[in-house]
Amino acid sequence: MKVTVKILRYDPEKDQRPHYQTYQVDAEPTDWVLDLLERIKGDQDGSLSFRRSCAHGICGSDAMRINGMNRLACKTLLQDLHSHTIVVEPLLGLPIIKDLVVDMEPFFDHYKSVMPYLVNDEQAPMRERLQSPAERERFDDTTKCILCAACTTSCPSFWANGDYIGPAAIVNAHRFIFDSRDRASSERLRILNGQFGVFRCHTIFNCTQACPREIQITKAIGEVKKAIATGNLD
Amino acid sequence: MRTRTVPQPAMSFEYTLWIFTRISGLGMLGLGLIGFVTALIMNARNLLDMNTLLRWSFFPNPNHVVNSNIPDISPGWSNAYWQVMEMLIVFFGISHGFNGLRVIIEDFIGHSLWQTILRGAVFLLWLFFLIIAVYVILAS
Repeated sequence: MKVTVKILRYDPEKDQRPHYQTYQVDAEPTDWVLDLLERIKGDQDGSLSFRRSCAHGICGSDAMRINGMNRLACKTLLQDLHSHTIVVEPLLGLPIIKDLVVDMEPFFDHYKSVMPYLVNDEQAPMRERLQSPAERERFDDTTKCILCAACTTSCPSFWANGDYIGPAAIVNAHRFIFDSRDRASSERLRILNGQFGVFRCHTIFNCTQACPREIQITKAIGEVKKAIATGNLD
Repeated sequence: MRTRTVPQPAMSFEYTLWIFTRISGLGMLGLGLIGFVTALIMNARNLLDMNTLLRWSFFPNPNHVVNSNIPDISPGWSNAYWQVMEMLIVFFGISHGFNGLRVIIEDFIGHSLWQTILRGAVFLLWLFFLIIAVYVILAS
Protein backbone atom coordinates (compact mmCIF):
# COMPACT_ATOMS: atom_id res chain seq x y z
CA MET A 1 0.00 0.00 0.00
CA LYS A 2 1.02 3.64 -0.50
CA VAL A 3 1.47 5.68 2.62
CA THR A 4 1.82 9.45 2.82
CA VAL A 5 4.39 10.47 5.41
CA LYS A 6 4.37 14.11 6.43
CA ILE A 7 7.48 15.04 8.39
CA LEU A 8 8.23 18.27 10.22
CA ARG A 9 11.64 19.26 8.85
CA TYR A 10 14.04 21.85 10.17
CA ASP A 11 17.62 22.52 9.18
CA PRO A 12 19.00 25.41 11.25
CA GLU A 13 21.54 26.18 8.51
CA LYS A 14 18.86 26.66 5.82
CA ASP A 15 15.42 27.13 7.36
CA GLN A 16 13.97 30.12 9.17
CA ARG A 17 11.39 27.90 10.83
CA PRO A 18 10.24 24.26 10.75
CA HIS A 19 8.10 23.19 7.79
CA TYR A 20 6.35 20.00 6.69
CA GLN A 21 7.67 17.87 3.85
CA THR A 22 5.59 15.06 2.38
CA TYR A 23 6.83 11.71 1.07
CA GLN A 24 5.03 8.80 -0.63
CA VAL A 25 6.28 5.42 0.55
CA ASP A 26 5.40 1.82 -0.32
CA ALA A 27 4.70 -0.01 2.92
CA GLU A 28 3.08 -3.03 4.50
CA PRO A 29 0.60 -2.77 7.41
CA THR A 30 3.12 -4.69 9.51
CA ASP A 31 5.90 -2.16 8.92
CA TRP A 32 7.08 -0.01 11.80
CA VAL A 33 7.11 3.76 11.43
CA LEU A 34 10.89 3.50 11.84
CA ASP A 35 10.97 1.30 8.69
CA LEU A 36 9.28 4.12 6.76
CA LEU A 37 11.75 6.70 8.04
CA GLU A 38 14.67 4.42 7.09
CA ARG A 39 13.15 3.95 3.62
CA ILE A 40 12.72 7.70 3.13
CA LYS A 41 16.26 8.40 4.30
CA GLY A 42 17.74 5.56 2.25
CA ASP A 43 15.76 5.92 -1.01
CA GLN A 44 14.37 9.44 -1.22
CA ASP A 45 16.06 12.03 1.00
CA GLY A 46 19.36 11.37 2.71
CA SER A 47 19.22 14.71 4.48
CA LEU A 48 16.46 13.53 6.83
CA SER A 49 17.76 13.29 10.41
CA PHE A 50 16.38 11.18 13.21
CA ARG A 51 17.76 9.18 16.12
CA ARG A 52 17.60 5.40 16.25
CA SER A 53 19.72 2.71 17.78
CA CYS A 54 18.42 -0.69 18.84
CA ALA A 55 15.15 -0.53 16.87
CA HIS A 56 13.57 -2.85 19.43
CA GLY A 57 12.01 -0.46 21.93
CA ILE A 58 14.80 -0.73 24.48
CA CYS A 59 17.22 2.13 23.87
CA GLY A 60 14.57 4.87 23.75
CA SER A 61 16.33 6.81 20.99
CA ASP A 62 13.51 7.19 18.50
CA ALA A 63 10.74 8.77 20.57
CA MET A 64 8.80 11.23 18.39
CA ARG A 65 5.32 12.56 17.84
CA ILE A 66 3.49 10.23 15.50
CA ASN A 67 -0.01 11.35 14.50
CA GLY A 68 -0.04 13.70 17.48
CA MET A 69 1.05 11.19 20.12
CA ASN A 70 4.47 10.54 21.59
CA ARG A 71 5.56 7.05 20.59
CA LEU A 72 8.66 5.08 19.76
CA ALA A 73 8.95 4.81 15.96
CA CYS A 74 10.33 1.29 16.36
CA LYS A 75 7.32 0.13 18.38
CA THR A 76 4.57 1.70 16.28
CA LEU A 77 3.04 -0.48 13.60
CA LEU A 78 1.36 1.19 10.63
CA GLN A 79 -1.73 -0.96 11.08
CA ASP A 80 -2.17 0.41 14.59
CA LEU A 81 -2.33 3.98 13.32
CA HIS A 82 -5.46 3.25 11.22
CA SER A 83 -4.45 5.86 8.66
CA HIS A 84 -2.69 6.07 5.30
CA THR A 85 -1.34 9.50 6.23
CA ILE A 86 1.24 9.63 8.96
CA VAL A 87 2.43 12.86 10.49
CA VAL A 88 5.83 12.65 12.19
CA GLU A 89 7.12 15.53 14.32
CA PRO A 90 9.92 15.98 16.84
CA LEU A 91 9.14 15.82 20.55
CA LEU A 92 7.56 18.98 21.94
CA GLY A 93 9.12 21.10 24.66
CA LEU A 94 12.78 20.46 23.72
CA PRO A 95 14.78 22.55 21.23
CA ILE A 96 15.03 21.04 17.75
CA ILE A 97 18.60 20.38 16.63
CA LYS A 98 17.65 19.12 13.16
CA ASP A 99 14.47 17.53 11.78
CA LEU A 100 13.37 14.89 14.33
CA VAL A 101 16.45 15.24 16.52
CA VAL A 102 15.87 17.30 19.67
CA ASP A 103 18.32 18.55 22.26
CA MET A 104 17.93 16.14 25.18
CA GLU A 105 20.25 18.10 27.46
CA PRO A 106 17.48 19.93 29.43
CA PHE A 107 15.76 16.57 29.92
CA PHE A 108 18.91 14.91 31.26
CA ASP A 109 19.68 17.91 33.49
CA HIS A 110 16.37 17.30 35.28
CA TYR A 111 17.08 13.57 35.37
CA LYS A 112 20.49 14.13 36.96
CA SER A 113 19.07 16.55 39.54
CA VAL A 114 17.23 13.74 41.38
CA MET A 115 20.39 11.67 41.96
CA PRO A 116 19.33 8.67 39.85
CA TYR A 117 21.77 6.24 41.43
CA LEU A 118 21.97 4.16 44.60
CA VAL A 119 23.31 6.08 47.59
CA ASN A 120 24.42 4.00 50.55
CA ASP A 121 27.53 4.87 52.53
CA GLU A 122 27.07 2.08 55.06
CA GLN A 123 29.67 -0.66 55.28
CA ALA A 124 29.04 -2.98 52.33
CA PRO A 125 28.26 -6.58 53.30
CA MET A 126 30.60 -9.38 52.22
CA ARG A 127 28.40 -10.55 49.36
CA GLU A 128 25.47 -8.27 48.50
CA ARG A 129 22.89 -5.91 49.98
CA LEU A 130 19.97 -8.24 50.47
CA GLN A 131 16.44 -7.31 49.52
CA SER A 132 13.27 -9.36 49.81
CA PRO A 133 11.10 -9.98 46.71
CA ALA A 134 8.41 -7.75 48.26
CA GLU A 135 10.90 -4.91 48.75
CA ARG A 136 12.06 -5.29 45.14
CA GLU A 137 8.48 -5.36 43.93
CA ARG A 138 7.81 -1.99 45.58
CA PHE A 139 9.65 -0.08 42.85
CA ASP A 140 9.57 -2.65 40.06
CA ASP A 141 7.39 -0.60 37.72
CA THR A 142 9.68 2.43 37.67
CA THR A 143 12.79 0.36 36.90
CA LYS A 144 11.39 -0.08 33.39
CA CYS A 145 12.10 3.51 32.32
CA ILE A 146 14.29 3.76 29.19
CA LEU A 147 14.69 7.57 29.31
CA CYS A 148 13.08 8.09 25.91
CA ALA A 149 11.50 11.37 27.14
CA ALA A 150 8.09 10.45 25.68
CA CYS A 151 6.45 11.16 29.05
CA THR A 152 8.14 14.46 29.88
CA THR A 153 7.59 15.87 26.40
CA SER A 154 3.90 14.89 26.45
CA CYS A 155 3.34 16.87 29.66
CA PRO A 156 1.60 20.27 29.25
CA SER A 157 3.24 21.49 32.46
CA PHE A 158 6.65 20.82 30.88
CA TRP A 159 5.62 22.42 27.56
CA ALA A 160 4.58 25.53 29.45
CA ASN A 161 7.65 25.72 31.64
CA GLY A 162 10.88 23.83 31.07
CA ASP A 163 11.87 24.44 34.70
CA TYR A 164 9.37 21.75 35.73
CA ILE A 165 11.36 18.65 36.61
CA GLY A 166 9.05 16.43 34.55
CA PRO A 167 7.61 12.94 34.90
CA ALA A 168 10.72 11.03 33.78
CA ALA A 169 12.86 12.55 36.53
CA ILE A 170 10.15 11.82 39.10
CA VAL A 171 9.87 8.22 37.88
CA ASN A 172 13.62 7.77 38.24
CA ALA A 173 13.58 9.39 41.67
CA HIS A 174 10.74 7.01 42.62
CA ARG A 175 12.88 4.05 41.55
CA PHE A 176 15.44 4.93 44.27
CA ILE A 177 13.18 6.57 46.88
CA PHE A 178 11.34 3.29 47.39
CA ASP A 179 14.44 1.09 47.14
CA SER A 180 15.06 -0.38 50.61
CA ARG A 181 18.85 -0.35 50.02
CA ASP A 182 19.01 3.38 49.30
CA ARG A 183 19.75 5.99 51.98
CA ALA A 184 19.11 9.26 50.10
CA SER A 185 15.31 9.18 49.91
CA SER A 186 15.01 12.24 52.15
CA GLU A 187 17.26 14.27 49.90
CA ARG A 188 15.33 13.26 46.78
CA LEU A 189 12.01 14.08 48.45
CA ARG A 190 13.42 17.47 49.43
CA ILE A 191 14.37 18.15 45.79
CA LEU A 192 10.96 17.06 44.52
CA ASN A 193 9.22 19.21 47.15
CA GLY A 194 10.56 22.38 45.50
CA GLN A 195 8.73 24.95 43.42
CA PHE A 196 9.20 23.10 40.13
CA GLY A 197 9.05 19.65 41.66
CA VAL A 198 6.32 17.10 41.98
CA PHE A 199 3.53 19.55 42.87
CA ARG A 200 3.62 21.09 39.38
CA CYS A 201 2.08 17.81 38.19
CA HIS A 202 -1.62 18.46 37.56
CA THR A 203 -2.52 14.78 37.08
CA ILE A 204 -3.22 15.13 33.35
CA PHE A 205 -2.17 11.50 32.64
CA ASN A 206 -0.54 12.31 29.25
CA CYS A 207 2.69 10.79 30.57
CA THR A 208 1.03 7.50 31.48
CA GLN A 209 -0.59 7.36 28.05
CA ALA A 210 2.67 8.18 26.26
CA CYS A 211 4.99 5.77 28.09
CA PRO A 212 6.07 3.01 25.65
CA ARG A 213 7.00 0.84 28.65
CA GLU A 214 3.52 1.20 30.15
CA ILE A 215 4.84 2.52 33.45
CA GLN A 216 2.05 3.82 35.68
CA ILE A 217 3.71 7.22 35.84
CA THR A 218 0.88 9.26 37.36
CA LYS A 219 0.54 6.61 40.07
CA ALA A 220 4.28 6.83 40.79
CA ILE A 221 4.04 10.62 41.02
CA GLY A 222 1.12 10.23 43.44
CA GLU A 223 3.22 7.87 45.58
CA VAL A 224 6.02 10.43 45.72
CA LYS A 225 3.53 13.15 46.77
CA LYS A 226 2.27 10.81 49.49
CA ALA A 227 5.82 10.11 50.66
CA ILE A 228 6.46 13.84 50.93
CA ALA A 229 3.24 14.28 52.91
CA THR A 230 3.73 11.34 55.30
CA GLY A 231 7.41 10.35 55.22
CA ASN A 232 6.20 6.76 54.79
CA LEU A 233 7.98 4.76 52.08
CA ASP A 234 5.85 1.60 52.21
CA MET B 1 8.61 -6.21 54.93
CA ARG B 2 9.78 -3.76 57.57
CA THR B 3 8.27 -0.29 57.61
CA ARG B 4 10.48 2.34 56.03
CA THR B 5 10.08 5.94 56.96
CA VAL B 6 12.11 9.06 56.35
CA PRO B 7 11.88 12.43 58.08
CA GLN B 8 9.21 14.45 56.31
CA PRO B 9 10.64 17.27 54.20
CA ALA B 10 9.82 20.73 55.58
CA MET B 11 6.43 22.05 54.46
CA SER B 12 7.36 23.84 51.25
CA PHE B 13 5.26 26.72 49.89
CA GLU B 14 4.10 24.52 46.99
CA TYR B 15 3.17 21.60 49.22
CA THR B 16 1.33 23.82 51.72
CA LEU B 17 -0.77 25.41 48.97
CA TRP B 18 -1.30 22.05 47.27
CA ILE B 19 -2.80 20.74 50.52
CA PHE B 20 -4.75 23.99 51.01
CA THR B 21 -6.31 23.67 47.54
CA ARG B 22 -7.72 20.29 48.47
CA ILE B 23 -8.87 21.30 51.94
CA SER B 24 -10.49 24.52 50.71
CA GLY B 25 -12.27 22.69 47.89
CA LEU B 26 -13.73 20.17 50.31
CA GLY B 27 -14.37 22.97 52.82
CA MET B 28 -16.50 24.94 50.35
CA LEU B 29 -18.56 21.85 49.55
CA GLY B 30 -18.97 21.10 53.27
CA LEU B 31 -19.98 24.66 54.13
CA GLY B 32 -22.39 24.72 51.18
CA LEU B 33 -23.96 21.51 52.46
CA ILE B 34 -24.28 22.95 55.97
CA GLY B 35 -25.95 26.08 54.56
CA PHE B 36 -28.30 23.97 52.45
CA VAL B 37 -29.34 21.62 55.25
CA THR B 38 -29.69 24.40 57.83
CA ALA B 39 -31.86 26.41 55.46
CA LEU B 40 -34.11 23.38 54.96
CA ILE B 41 -34.37 22.95 58.73
CA MET B 42 -35.45 26.63 58.84
CA ASN B 43 -38.35 25.78 56.50
CA ALA B 44 -36.63 26.87 53.28
CA ARG B 45 -38.83 24.35 51.42
CA ASN B 46 -41.81 26.67 51.86
CA LEU B 47 -40.00 29.99 52.04
CA LEU B 48 -37.40 29.91 49.22
CA ASP B 49 -37.37 28.87 45.59
CA MET B 50 -34.61 26.50 44.43
CA ASN B 51 -32.37 29.21 42.92
CA THR B 52 -32.47 31.27 46.10
CA LEU B 53 -31.81 28.22 48.25
CA LEU B 54 -28.71 27.27 46.24
CA ARG B 55 -27.43 30.86 46.23
CA TRP B 56 -27.93 30.95 49.98
CA SER B 57 -26.13 27.63 50.46
CA PHE B 58 -22.92 28.86 48.89
CA PHE B 59 -23.12 32.42 50.19
CA PRO B 60 -25.57 32.74 53.13
CA ASN B 61 -25.96 36.50 52.94
CA PRO B 62 -29.28 37.98 54.20
CA ASN B 63 -29.54 40.09 51.01
CA HIS B 64 -30.04 36.84 49.08
CA VAL B 65 -33.27 36.01 50.93
CA VAL B 66 -34.63 39.47 51.62
CA ASN B 67 -37.13 39.24 48.71
CA SER B 68 -38.29 35.72 49.53
CA ASN B 69 -41.35 34.59 51.51
CA ILE B 70 -39.46 34.84 54.81
CA PRO B 71 -41.58 37.16 56.97
CA ASP B 72 -38.67 38.47 59.06
CA ILE B 73 -35.04 37.58 58.25
CA SER B 74 -33.50 39.18 61.32
CA PRO B 75 -33.59 36.36 63.87
CA GLY B 76 -32.73 33.19 61.94
CA TRP B 77 -31.32 34.30 58.59
CA SER B 78 -29.23 37.30 59.59
CA ASN B 79 -26.93 36.74 62.54
CA ALA B 80 -23.29 36.31 63.55
CA TYR B 81 -23.34 32.56 62.80
CA TRP B 82 -24.15 33.16 59.13
CA GLN B 83 -21.57 35.96 58.97
CA VAL B 84 -18.89 33.52 60.12
CA MET B 85 -20.12 30.98 57.55
CA GLU B 86 -19.97 33.64 54.84
CA MET B 87 -16.46 34.65 55.82
CA LEU B 88 -15.25 31.07 55.78
CA ILE B 89 -16.76 30.42 52.37
CA VAL B 90 -15.39 33.68 51.00
CA PHE B 91 -11.93 32.98 52.43
CA PHE B 92 -11.87 29.48 50.98
CA GLY B 93 -13.33 30.58 47.63
CA ILE B 94 -11.11 33.63 47.06
CA SER B 95 -7.97 31.91 48.31
CA HIS B 96 -8.66 28.74 46.30
CA GLY B 97 -9.29 30.78 43.15
CA PHE B 98 -6.32 33.10 43.47
CA ASN B 99 -4.03 30.21 44.29
CA GLY B 100 -5.27 28.57 41.08
CA LEU B 101 -4.38 31.76 39.23
CA ARG B 102 -0.92 31.75 40.84
CA VAL B 103 -0.39 28.13 39.79
CA ILE B 104 -1.42 28.90 36.20
CA ILE B 105 0.93 31.89 36.08
CA GLU B 106 3.84 29.91 37.53
CA ASP B 107 3.13 27.02 35.18
CA PHE B 108 4.05 29.36 32.35
CA ILE B 109 6.77 31.48 33.92
CA GLY B 110 10.04 30.06 35.19
CA HIS B 111 12.49 31.67 37.62
CA SER B 112 12.38 35.32 36.62
CA LEU B 113 11.56 38.80 37.84
CA TRP B 114 8.16 38.47 36.16
CA GLN B 115 7.33 35.61 38.46
CA THR B 116 8.00 37.76 41.52
CA ILE B 117 6.02 40.69 40.09
CA LEU B 118 3.01 38.58 39.11
CA ARG B 119 3.10 36.64 42.36
CA GLY B 120 3.01 39.99 44.21
CA ALA B 121 0.13 41.20 42.02
CA VAL B 122 -1.88 38.04 42.73
CA PHE B 123 -1.25 38.46 46.46
CA LEU B 124 -2.42 42.08 46.40
CA LEU B 125 -5.54 41.18 44.39
CA TRP B 126 -6.30 38.34 46.82
CA LEU B 127 -5.99 40.74 49.74
CA PHE B 128 -8.12 43.40 48.00
CA PHE B 129 -10.96 41.00 47.24
CA LEU B 130 -10.82 39.55 50.73
CA ILE B 131 -11.13 43.01 52.32
CA ILE B 132 -14.02 43.95 49.98
CA ALA B 133 -15.79 40.69 50.78
CA VAL B 134 -15.42 41.13 54.53
CA TYR B 135 -16.73 44.69 54.19
CA VAL B 136 -19.78 43.49 52.24
CA ILE B 137 -20.46 40.77 54.82
CA LEU B 138 -20.19 43.10 57.80
CA ALA B 139 -22.19 45.86 56.11
CA SER B 140 -25.13 43.69 55.06
